[in-house]
Parts: sequence; structure tokens; C-alpha cells
Amino acid sequence: MSPPYHQCRVFALILSAALLLASLPLRAADTLYLYNWNNYISEDTVKRFEAHCRCQLKQDYYSDNEEMLAKLEAGAVGYDVLVPTGNAVESLVRRKALREIDKAKLPNLRNVKREFLDAWFDPGNRYSVPYATSVTLLGYNASKMKELDLPTDSWALIFEPKHLQKIKGRVTVLNSQRELMAAAMKYLGYSVQEHDPAKWGEAKRLILRAKPYWAAFSNSTYIKDLAIGTIWVAHGYSNDMFRAQQDAAAAKRPFTIGFATPKEGAVLAVDNFVLHKSGRRPDLAHQFIDFMLEGRNAGDVSNLIGAGNPNAAATQHILPEIAVSPGIFPPPAELQRLEMLRDFDPKLRRSLSRMWTEIKVR
Amino acid sequence: MSEPRTQPSGLTKWVVTLPPTAFLLTFFLATALIVVVAGFRETGEFGGLAPIDSLAALTLDAYHFLGGDVIYLEIFARSFLVAALTTLICIVLAYPLAWLIARSPKRRRDFLVLLVILPFASNFLVRIYAWIMLLGPVNLLYTPFAVVVGMVYAHLPFMVLPLYTNLEKHDPALLEAAQDLGANGWTRFWRVTFPLSLPGIFSGSALVFIPVLGMFAVPELLGGTGDILIGNLIKEQFLENRDWPLGSALSIMLTVCVLALAGLTAWASKRGLHGTEAVT
Repeated sequence: MSPPYHQCRVFALILSAALLLASLPLRAADTLYLYNWNNYISEDTVKRFEAHCRCQLKQDYYSDNEEMLAKLEAGAVGYDVLVPTGNAVESLVRRKALREIDKAKLPNLRNVKREFLDAWFDPGNRYSVPYATSVTLLGYNASKMKELDLPTDSWALIFEPKHLQKIKGRVTVLNSQRELMAAAMKYLGYSVQEHDPAKWGEAKRLILRAKPYWAAFSNSTYIKDLAIGTIWVAHGYSNDMFRAQQDAAAAKRPFTIGFATPKEGAVLAVDNFVLHKSGRRPDLAHQFIDFMLEGRNAGDVSNLIGAGNPNAAATQHILPEIAVSPGIFPPPAELQRLEMLRDFDPKLRRSLSRMWTEIKVR
Repeated sequence: MSEPRTQPSGLTKWVVTLPPTAFLLTFFLATALIVVVAGFRETGEFGGLAPIDSLAALTLDAYHFLGGDVIYLEIFARSFLVAALTTLICIVLAYPLAWLIARSPKRRRDFLVLLVILPFASNFLVRIYAWIMLLGPVNLLYTPFAVVVGMVYAHLPFMVLPLYTNLEKHDPALLEAAQDLGANGWTRFWRVTFPLSLPGIFSGSALVFIPVLGMFAVPELLGGTGDILIGNLIKEQFLENRDWPLGSALSIMLTVCVLALAGLTAWASKRGLHGTEAVT
């Protein structure tokens, strides 16, 4: 055994080395810090941007808005750019956590489709620039659905016992209070931004009635389960359904995966670039956003994960099978029936959480 | 018992104990108080806590909300059941193992103890993911069974180590004496070894029961849709739902339950010790 003072020295050495390493990023002058979703920018795009700006792009990742908001609420600083969904943008704006965008520095802003500008969460786009979209819809095993003669264009498929009894144990729904209850509200003909707790109560009862037929609440495994054929219907995000479709085709399965937005309407998520107030490099941040608004760079995210794209100039760079998918790019008429999630007041949040707990336990 | 050889001077005692005491006061007591106060505050418009200007702004809302609802009681009951079951299984599994290690030759003992703590060398989540792979193919994943298996697996070492430490100290002469007096194997265990090992069982049980109560990762990864415990509920309030007062109130209720239990254990273990004195 080495004498204690020796151990101390080793420890001190390790500690000072760690301190040295920790202080290094501070000295790298031209670094843009991006707090982003997992797998949301292709490596190619990152490399091209780094060459373009002669700077470094450092990314941290989150897997949902709440995680990002919770981290910022707890005092995380130094992120130049964030990529929150609409309701989280509203929350950040109201908390005065964002820096205003200087539109003069974003000539490519004209590439953004008009229907995605001036959204309710940020009138006039003072703080946010839309980057990618997804629709929460139904993915299904098209061959099975045809065989069982089931409707694929309605939420009835996951809520009505008369359909569900044919596919019992072959259905998954999102493990997300907001998304699942929103789907139920849409099926009942209500808005997902409804404030009346009684109507949400109806949605809860609808869910509880259908729950015995569902196999699981799943946020990610449904991609694999659809692709290998163990699950026939899944409630999930359009980009995930696209992946399941590709995976099933690549594995030459004897069935195909389809996905469609139910006719009753669905949830649209728009993710946006925003500048956090604590960011040290607004200059690089503007440069980055403008770069990402160029058609080719904007198109990359659609090709990478099958995301919908609010950028008109991107269309010609997007793979044809993605660009024509109505589940990914909702036609204008369908866009009317999509709604974005919105944050509720604390009281309604608490009673919705209570309903969700009941849904889980019962 | 011999007197301690040297008594540290008052000053030395202070110098040595001040930093840890200050640390505990700041980072345990203060944070705990923040949680207590948060439980009586109102939720901010976008999560977190609403600004507070006077004592009148404090409210019992969160507790009223929890108290008037049987569903939360149900989750508490279920969590205590899972924790109790886990503890019981841990005792049954750990006892023979700890006994075996304690009775092995001295030089092999350290090695066996090392084997018990070896799993800690790899990340907890990675090990739970390994269980997903083990339980998935046999269709046991996402069941209450999987949750208990995961809990037992994660906490078994915390039962083995205190038990081993206790069993190792037993004087073999006691068992020989019992044998000389005509006690058979079962009687020797039940009348001598077991009562003597009670302190080990109690401290092991506390080390298993209490963390299991608050654990949310295992039910989240291995449990099905209905397998939520208090830990999951608390986590949901702080992250997904951003309702800090409700989450704090739940934490406080859990803490009170745990403290009550720890008190009970300490009391029972003291009685257990008296019991063993009677035997020896």
C-alpha cells in the first residue's frame, strides 16, 4: 500500500488536470453552444456550418421540452441557441428568457413558408424561427388493416372497442399525458387547448375504456415493434412512423407500414430556433440560424429523420418519398385541422396530472 | 470494555467535525427546508414556484389535493408493498450468502466480498438495461414481477454487506457451546445465530427498504403502464408536469413515512439487541 501522502499527491494531480480540462472550453473563443434535440442535425450539416463560420459547434441534447425547461429553470447558462417546440417557446418568451432576433441578419428568413410564420406563440416572430415539424398520428400495418377491414383514417381505431377487439394487444399509444389526452380530445371533437376540466374528464373515460385493449404506453419502442410486425397500430410521431416504414421495407417484410393523420385532426409540433439570453455569441447564433435556413441545410433534417419542413427552399433538396408523404407534409387543407399543444394554467395542469395518474394506475 | 486510550481535546474535536457538520447543515438541512416550504407554495404560471411576498401566500392546497384522493394513497400503499417484498426477498437471498462468506477461510472472504460489490463498478442503468434483455424474451418484461426482480437485484448487496459484517463477528465458541448443550443445527441457528444477527438484518433492511421506496428508474424501465410508485409520481410532478408544490408535498409525505419507519427500526433493533443479551 502506498503511503497516504502519495495518494494525496495523485489525487491533487488528477484534480488539477480535471480543472485544466474544464477551463479549456472557456478559452476556445469561437464556439457556438446549441442545446438541441437528439439526432436533429446531421453531422454533414454540422461540418459544413463549422467550415462556413470557422467556428466550433458544441451540442448538448435533450429528449423533451420539459427536460430542457427544467434545466434552464435550474439556472443553466451559456447556450446560444435552443430548439423548443411552440408551447415551450411561449413559456420561454413569457419568462423573458429569450433574446430578440435581428431579422436584418437573417436574409434567408424569406425561405420560411408563410403559414408557419406569425404563430400564436410568437406573433411577428420576434424571438423564434421555425425549423422542423411533426404530426402526432397513427401508424399501422397496412396489410393487417386491410385484412381485418379496419378504418385507418380515424382515431376510432385506437379508441373504439368495436375496432379494438380485432387488434387487442397489438396497439401502443404514446406514454405522454399531453399527446394521448389530446388525441382523445380530437376524437371527441374538442380542441386540444380546451380549458373545461369536464371535457378532459370525458377524454379520460374514453382512454380508460380503450386501455384494456392496448399492449403498452410506448414512446420509442413502437418504431421497432411496427417494423417487425408485433404491433399493428401505434399512436406516435410522423417522423418515427416514417422510420418504421423504411425499416420494414429495408428488411423486406411481407407487409407494409402506413401512416395517416386522422380525419378528426391531430397535434402538430413545430420546433423553432430561439436565442437564449445567456448566450455569449449572438453573432454566431444569427449566422447559424441563417445558415440553417438555406434550402439545402434546411432539407437535411427531413432527409435525416423524416421531419416535416417549414422551409420552402428546402423542398427541392428533400428525398421524393419524404416530400410527397401527406403524413409528413400535411396538405394545406389538412393543416387547418391540426392544432398545437399549449401550456395550461397550474390548476388545470394539476387536475390533468391527476387524471393521468388514474389512467396509469387503473 | 476498556476506556478509550486518548480523549481528543475539545478544540481538535471542533476542527475535525466542523466541516462535515457545516456541509450537512447547508446541503441537507437547507435543501430539505426548501422542499418543505415549496410544499406550501403555489405553482408558478409556467412551472416552478409562484413568487412569494408574504406568509399569507402560503397554502395547504397541495396537501388538500393529495389528502382528498384515494388514488395517491393507493400508490403509497403499493410502494410500501413493493419495498416490503423487496426487503423480504433480499433477506432470504442475502442471509445464506452472507453466512457462507463469513464462514469462508479468512483470505477468501475479502475476495468474495469484492465479488458482491463488483456490480457497482458498472453503471446502474446499464445493469438495469441488461435485465430488459434478460426478461424481454421470456415475456416477463413490463410486469410487477420485473419491477421486484430489478429492485432485489439493485439492492441485494446492501443487505449482504451489513449481514456479513454482523455474522463475521459471531464467536464460533457460542455455537460449540450450544452443540455441547445438545442443540441441533436448527436450534443452534434459531436460538443463537439468528438473534445475534438481528442488528445486521435491521440495518440491511433499512438500507434496502428506504431507497426502494423512492426509486423511480426501475419501475420506469422494467415496469408496465400501471407499475408506478411514489418515486415516479414525484419525478412526474417536477419534470413533465412542472408542479413543484405537489411534488414537494409528496416528497414530504414520503420522508415522514420513512422517518417513522427508521425510528421504528431503530427501536426494534434496540429491543433485538436486548433480546440477544438475554440469549448470551
